[in-house]
Amino acid sequence: MIKIKGVNGNLLVVFDAVPFADAYRALDEKIKSSEQLFKGSRVVFSGSGLAGFSLDELAALQQLCLNYGMVLNNTELPIRKSKASAPAAPPPQTVPVPGDTFIHKNVRSGQKVHSEGSVVVWGDVHESAEIVAARDIIVLGKMGGIAHAGCFGDASSIVFALNLIPSQIRIADRISRSPEDQTTRPYPEVAFIDDDGISIKRYNPRENLGRSRKK
Amino acid sequence: MDKKNSECHVIVVTSGKGGVGKTTTVANVSTSLAKMGYRVAVMDLDIGLKKLDLILGLENRVIYDIVQVIEGECTLKQALVRDKRFPELHMLPAAQTRNKDEITPEQVKDLCSQMRPDFDFVLIDCPAGIEQGFRNAIAAADQALVVTNPEVSAVRDADRIIGMLESAGFQDIKLIVNRIRPDMVRHGDMLSIEDLIEHLCIDLLGVVPEDRNVVVSTNRGEPIILNDRSSAALAFNNIARRIIGEEVEFPTFQDDSFWDRLRGLGRNLFSGR
Repeated sequence: MIKIKGVNGNLLVVFDAVPFADAYRALDEKIKSSEQLFKGSRVVFSGSGLAGFSLDELAALQQLCLNYGMVLNNTELPIRKSKASAPAAPPPQTVPVPGDTFIHKNVRSGQKVHSEGSVVVWGDVHESAEIVAARDIIVLGKMGGIAHAGCFGDASSIVFALNLIPSQIRIADRISRSPEDQTTRPYPEVAFIDDDGISIKRYNPRENLGRSRKK
Repeated sequence: MDKKNSECHVIVVTSGKGGVGKTTTVANVSTSLAKMGYRVAVMDLDIGLKKLDLILGLENRVIYDIVQVIEGECTLKQALVRDKRFPELHMLPAAQTRNKDEITPEQVKDLCSQMRPDFDFVLIDCPAGIEQGFRNAIAAADQALVVTNPEVSAVRDADRIIGMLESAGFQDIKLIVNRIRPDMVRHGDMLSIEDLIEHLCIDLLGVVPEDRNVVVSTNRGEPIILNDRSSAALAFNNIARRIIGEEVEFPTFQDDSFWDRLRGLGRNLFSGR
């Protein structure tokens, strides 16, 4: 039903295609059987079963791991798997995700925004504030905090800001810290995943970044 | 004397970070308001680490404290300490031997509603931090003053506090920048007022310059506003006047002309300080 393997210092949890309730119970039992062993280890979700879970169910599984003191090292993209095995399954990009979040004020230090879709902030995101979104993060102002786009594993997510100076950017399972000597650049920028990890470049409206990039 | 206004403003003074000048601000602004003839109460909610009585010079006159009022050991009237120098100023002292989680936000709210009919202003001295003490202090207030220093650590905490106040439903949040040093700002060694406002995005209520006299008067237990020569005193008086709705211009610290410096030199020579 589920397998747990140690890969590159991560605990790889491989889900087979089973109903969510069964997977949840199996994972719970597996962890409970040797709680001390799993505590503090980094978890990556994987397997063909993932594509069958909704975002809420994925979040519940992640929360279960967090409850046992494990560290989420993110979820592997279900897209890759589904392309090879079942080409009929629509890629997640085309599924309209409900629950985009719009914020019409500054997000201040210590505040955390969590969205099941994309997040659009009409204001600044201050230092040590956190934005976590299942899809894109768009800040029409300064992005100075922590941005985590594609938190459920969607690697085509982007982070856009008019002034992009975050202390940390995460996209799907990649992490990138800000350089030590950060200079503010007076033009909008966009962060995305390419072959070397997370890249940032000047936003150019004539280039097709983001969703359509991967097609 | 009767109170001047029909309504009562309950104002919490908070900052997040410790040592930025919350208690000094409460002491001086409340004294200034009382001097103008308003009936003012100050409430020290830094239970376990009280300082307001010390700074106001009322330590010896404290008999009962706020926890005893809440627990019903004495009445509110008995616990309120009246300042002899300013008959309109009343202080509700904090307990030193107690703990911040021995009272609840509801109890503070209840206490404030008992005070509202008798006072024009109730100023609440909030403890540092964002725990129970902070929640107690903001529960009853309808306005908030955030005190910060022009340094990154204080600004970060102020940002956090403003966020928490906003999510607690505060509409009226104003900023006081304390201990600014105009000479350092001029040389670019200190965050300027403009930087702070741009970062925190709230209205400015006052700017208090760094002033050695504050330490002296704090140690003596005399509010600095009694010192006519002090620049901090002027700033605190201005803050009090802005609170009652007067339009007071912000002094520009940027002035650095030859004549200003000469005047400053003369003032220093003849003031004897």
